Amino acid sequence: MIEKIRLSGLIILLLLAACSSQQPPPQEPPASVDVVNQRVRTPASQDSAGVQVYSLQNPAVKQLTAQAHDAEKAGNLDQAGAYLERALRIEPGDPQLLQHMAEIKLQKEDWQQALNFAERSYDIGPRVGEICSRNWRTISVAREHLNDPGGASVAEQRATQCMNTRPKGF
Amino acid sequence: MFSKTAKSRSSQRGSRGREARGSKPGSARRLFRFLMLLTGLGIGIGVPWVIWLDMQVRNEFEGRIWDLPSRVYARPLSLYSGQSIAKDALLTELKAAGYRQVSAATTAGTYAVNGNRFDIHRRAFTFEEGAEPAIRFLLQLGSDSLVSLSKASGAGDPGLLRLDPAEIASIYPLHEEDRSLVALKDAPELLVTGLQAVEDRQFKHHHGVALRGIARAFWANIRAGKAVQGGSTLTQQLVKNYFLSSERTLIRKVNEAIMAVLLERHYGKAQILEAYINEIFLGQQGKHAIHGFGRASEFYFDRPLQELEPEQIALLIGMVRGASLYNPRRNPERALERRNQVLEVFASTGLMTQSAAKAASARPLGVTDEPRSGGSRFPAFLDLVRRQLVRDYQPSDLSSEGLKIFTTLAPSDQKYAQQAVTRGLEELQQRGLPADLQAALVLADVASGEVRALVSDRDAGSDGFNRALDARRQIGSVIKPLIYLLALEHAADYNLLTRVTDKPISLRLENGKIWSPENYDDKSHGEMALMDALVHSYNQATVQVGLKVGVANLIGKIRQLGVDADIPAVPSTLLGAVELTPIEVTQIYQSLAAGGYSVPLRAVTAVLTPTGELLSRYPLRFMPLENRQAIALLNFALTQVVEEGTARSLHQLLGNETPIAGKTGTTNEKRDSWYVGYTRDRIAVTWVGLDDNRPAGVTGSNAAMRVWAGLFRSVPIEAVDLRMPDGANFVWVDKLQQALTDPSCPGAVQIPFIEGSEPQASTDCLQALEKTNGKSSWRKWFDRKD
Repeated sequence: MIEKIRLSGLIILLLLAACSSQQPPPQEPPASVDVVNQRVRTPASQDSAGVQVYSLQNPAVKQLTAQAHDAEKAGNLDQAGAYLERALRIEPGDPQLLQHMAEIKLQKEDWQQALNFAERSYDIGPRVGEICSRNWRTISVAREHLNDPGGASVAEQRATQCMNTRPKGF
Repeated sequence: MFSKTAKSRSSQRGSRGREARGSKPGSARRLFRFLMLLTGLGIGIGVPWVIWLDMQVRNEFEGRIWDLPSRVYARPLSLYSGQSIAKDALLTELKAAGYRQVSAATTAGTYAVNGNRFDIHRRAFTFEEGAEPAIRFLLQLGSDSLVSLSKASGAGDPGLLRLDPAEIASIYPLHEEDRSLVALKDAPELLVTGLQAVEDRQFKHHHGVALRGIARAFWANIRAGKAVQGGSTLTQQLVKNYFLSSERTLIRKVNEAIMAVLLERHYGKAQILEAYINEIFLGQQGKHAIHGFGRASEFYFDRPLQELEPEQIALLIGMVRGASLYNPRRNPERALERRNQVLEVFASTGLMTQSAAKAASARPLGVTDEPRSGGSRFPAFLDLVRRQLVRDYQPSDLSSEGLKIFTTLAPSDQKYAQQAVTRGLEELQQRGLPADLQAALVLADVASGEVRALVSDRDAGSDGFNRALDARRQIGSVIKPLIYLLALEHAADYNLLTRVTDKPISLRLENGKIWSPENYDDKSHGEMALMDALVHSYNQATVQVGLKVGVANLIGKIRQLGVDADIPAVPSTLLGAVELTPIEVTQIYQSLAAGGYSVPLRAVTAVLTPTGELLSRYPLRFMPLENRQAIALLNFALTQVVEEGTARSLHQLLGNETPIAGKTGTTNEKRDSWYVGYTRDRIAVTWVGLDDNRPAGVTGSNAAMRVWAGLFRSVPIEAVDLRMPDGANFVWVDKLQQALTDPSCPGAVQIPFIEGSEPQASTDCLQALEKTNGKSSWRKWFDRKD
């Protein structure tokens, strides 16, 4: 009972506080939002000069990817992540989805997960072309923030080799 | 209090005595004083009393909004063209989500099926990412997959659709109550108007109590010769419901009336009606009270309130008078009579036409035979959900907030998993194994670690010991792959073809005893490729390798793979004298099945507030392990266990040749049977044994693997992912010669190697080919250095 009284008191206080104060100014988006475009997507697309090794996506995954892009553009990174997670449930081994998720994590400044998703994308991806370059550029930015400047420059180097590295594995 | 009253009585007597003597001005003064005293007493006692009642009733009213139990949902089923889904699985999912089969799906929450063609009317629902409106769509199934999806309106392929998820439980750790919150605007109009017609016609006008209502009810009851109307207003009934008690004293009645008036002063009619609809007591399920029309609708009719027929609404309204007396399951005749009385009221007040009410009266009660359980349909899985929530939340959040908890359970997978266990153990019994065998099963999604099904007992309804989470049993040969993984991580010393020897071995233990492990067939098999020692699960060869990689490193590996168990650093650990639970074994193998991208197994994906705001998400997070090349090699070896090793009868059991990975496990004296197996997308661990740990006559392949196969006969099987990560490649080799060869040479097989650990020699056949043709393109590619 006492808890309930306290709870309702707290709620009333919060409501009053909400009434009396003005809306907070919109938060500045983190600097990392631009990082993805400036340091990953744009240079990767220049590296690849149009060479893209994309697997075919099923329509459901395509739809979710588009929704994730829209959410990302609107600055709703959590929502974008949720769409990509749904898409990954359908196609868990899709390197594009994994890389897109890495870029979302990068914007959220979750450096470790950005690194992990990009590595997974590279591991099971084509390891050539634009996506390969995005993989390594993401890894590079993430390593920078994880205090691994040496690893970051190696990754930067790997990104530039994506156009002449032979595919391995099968 | 008593002494004050006595005092006032004596002063009354005294004043009368003096009055008799005719002292008028004095008596007037005394009367005034007396009235003042009464007023003072009234204010002194009455005002605090009313304030106290006010506090009580407001606390209840406001507190209840926060008092809803959290509702737990299964994962919503995604539907899209090309998806692997069998007809039975789709029907199971629809049924679990409370969809009713009809001839045309004109209302939300129904579906029609004609052969493999489905007409489904999805309900509006607030998913993790937001609200989606109701939608009617057509779906065409092929033999095992979804062929096409189209909107019923003819507006083309909707791409991706989700069913609203099955509700699997309510969590109420502090209160034994269960409710399903309904907003007033979402309540059927007939319920809102009908309630007032039957229970409180003055509701819109009174201030909490209604003398006219009492009089009318009194008159109506006299005319009918029995109680057909009640005198309490809805507000009074709500108050009564807050302080449910069998006590029916005058003081209680007065208190309730005062509180009803107070409630009306503080809150609007709509708020009070909404509270009433969600609060009123409508039945009992074991220890759990059924509160509110929403929950009652699910409990009696297994469908949401919005989908009830008029006679069903009438039945529930009728039950307000006496949920036990008019319980349609226990007293169907009385309930029917009461329902029809209510329908008559509907007709007489113009809420329904006479003919419609008559038609409705002719219909049966329409209650389901079995009450839809609030919490016991999937007790084992729910146990896991609770543990995760308790780990991540405050108990007060869980009990008091009315949250919506989204989980990973797949109702169809759960059904097949339980069937596989129940039927599997019956079959084993017919094959001569003990009748009291028990089993556990964990099914998870490989990449995300989401737990899709959990079985903890051969009987579906049992909510006792959760074997999947708590049964610590020796894992036997299930440990072996980790030893081989440790070896493969030393690429300079080991590859899959490295020769190892299966020969008798004796070790002196710390206690002075000699340990001499035997093979399952009591034979030693001599020299062989490392891979084959694993594929055939040879004990002596494994101990040889294990002693080289070290028991301490093996224990370290188990920890690294996400299981923090107390494991003795003794040689017998190498053969699995290690006690782990089925869920721990699943965690270890998830990391391997996902190619070294470990994720903690999870049962909860998101938690929403009652209004649909996201309280927290459990986002997908990977933990990449080192040496993923070695894991990829091991995964390949584990597919060979199924192709030619201890699990080679699996393909036949499944009736499917798709490459999958697996490992059997048996412990001393056949006490435990384990099978761990995975496809590209699903990993499942099964355990079979006896609770008291008696020898059970079970081996990995004769028991647990059969249960596993029973499950995978019902779920889609995708070829296990053998794409090699950077730094490992498939190479054509001759296994016996441990040499590189050409695909066209006899005995050529493709086996993965970590770069640099491939055989150096070439077969004669390859050398001859290269002499005549030059190096083959794959050899050139292979020899090229960066």
